[in-house]
Amino acid sequence: MTNSTQGRRSPLHDRHVALGAKMADFGGWDMPIEYPGGGVVAEHTAVRERVGIFDVSHLGKATVSGPGAADFVNRCLTNDLRRIQPGSAQYTVCCNETGGAVDDLIAYLRSDDEVFLIPNAANTAQVVDLLTAAAPAGVTITNQHDEFAVIAVQGPRSDELLQALDLPTGHDYMSFVEADWRGQRLTVCRTGYTGERGYELVGPWAGATAVWDALVEAMEPMGGLPCGLGARDTLRTEMGYALHGQDLSPEISPVQARVGWAVGWKKDAFWGRDALLAERGNPPRISHGLLVSGRGIPRPHCAVSRDGVPVGEVTSGTFSPTLRQGIALALLAPEVSVGDTVSIDVRGRAVEATVVKPPFIEVKPS
Amino acid sequence: MSELSYPDDLRYTSDHEWVRGDGDTVRVGITAFAQDALGDVVYVSLPAVGDALAVGDACGEVESTKSVSDIFAPVAGEVTAVNDALDATPELVNSDPYGDGWMFEVRPDDAAVLDDLMDAAAYQASLSS
Repeated sequence: MTNSTQGRRSPLHDRHVALGAKMADFGGWDMPIEYPGGGVVAEHTAVRERVGIFDVSHLGKATVSGPGAADFVNRCLTNDLRRIQPGSAQYTVCCNETGGAVDDLIAYLRSDDEVFLIPNAANTAQVVDLLTAAAPAGVTITNQHDEFAVIAVQGPRSDELLQALDLPTGHDYMSFVEADWRGQRLTVCRTGYTGERGYELVGPWAGATAVWDALVEAMEPMGGLPCGLGARDTLRTEMGYALHGQDLSPEISPVQARVGWAVGWKKDAFWGRDALLAERGNPPRISHGLLVSGRGIPRPHCAVSRDGVPVGEVTSGTFSPTLRQGIALALLAPEVSVGDTVSIDVRGRAVEATVVKPPFIEVKPS
Repeated sequence: MSELSYPDDLRYTSDHEWVRGDGDTVRVGITAFAQDALGDVVYVSLPAVGDALAVGDACGEVESTKSVSDIFAPVAGEVTAVNDALDATPELVNSDPYGDGWMFEVRPDDAAVLDDLMDAAAYQASLSS
């Protein structure tokens, strides 16, 4: 079933349509959910066992530049940019003053005077507006949503695939290098949203089809597949990675979503600091993993109870292709602990699950 | 992309199920269109043998990685068999929706009810309207 939507289009839209992808709206963008010949489970497995490529050009891009740009970003976003060196990227959160998450994003530290940001598609304009309103004289924020494409290459054979294109590989996790590739400048970053070894390629909008076509051709003998956002969701859920809008939101703080590790607690200033410090240590609810014992797939907003008492609700839920079980992330009352048995109301049916600490699958060394 | 097919010897419902007359029982499954729309099927819940169904009863569920759909009884009658193979291999619904991916069998209260269902041409026309 191909849903035609009126959303914005990635530079690879024609490629997805030619492949027969099922398209759907994602943050205002018309993006591939899955491809024929693949499907969510096959695409998921390709990434876990071989390699898969994802068009994630819907993600936002913005550059903060000018004298002291990095210090300025560091006074706004939660994580501490001083933890990393130029040439590395960092997961961080843009909070409001009450500690809610306006967005989560990746900040690429290019130099003291330039930070490149990758926010979520639907939140890009708001993040850019907030930074612009707060920026000191000389620091500018440029929304480059349509200037760059992003292609994620994920899976144990990612290095082999990039080497087939003569692209650089082997740099440290979360670091990035620039490469000139057939006349275009690509940023090759050791990042991803799947838990597998992999890279994200950021390059000019107009050059994206050449990169995509070269990857498709080179990955064929490796058993690689183009992967849609359906597999991206099952892959990230198996890792317990938060999705903004579900597990993290203006109503769900980084403390509640268990991404406090991305908060620079020792910093003097960042948006939401006072609220997050007050909440730290005794949040009213905390994100946990739920592993379903029997049959049934939890979905967002399913109610969770323990011994008949309501304790929270599911924020993300899906079928884990690796475990062949239902898995979920859920915001639960603080009295619930790992190891507890809870009941999830799935369409009126009580589905038993165990509270676990994500990731749901074994983590491979990166 | 594999073309979705709609065999001429089946009857179809607006809930995207097919019904095959087979002696005094009928066999029920979901159509190629339905399995394609659902994506990878990972769980199938079926009625129990002996259940008495009324037309339109929600008598089971098909769950994919993405979503869940009810299975509705296309005819009234008693359930005489269910496809237990779908417990371990639900993907048969995707790979062979009209064959090994069948769901359950019913002895209809009134065998003439099949005539009220759509034939393949009418069903395909309903998909493109």
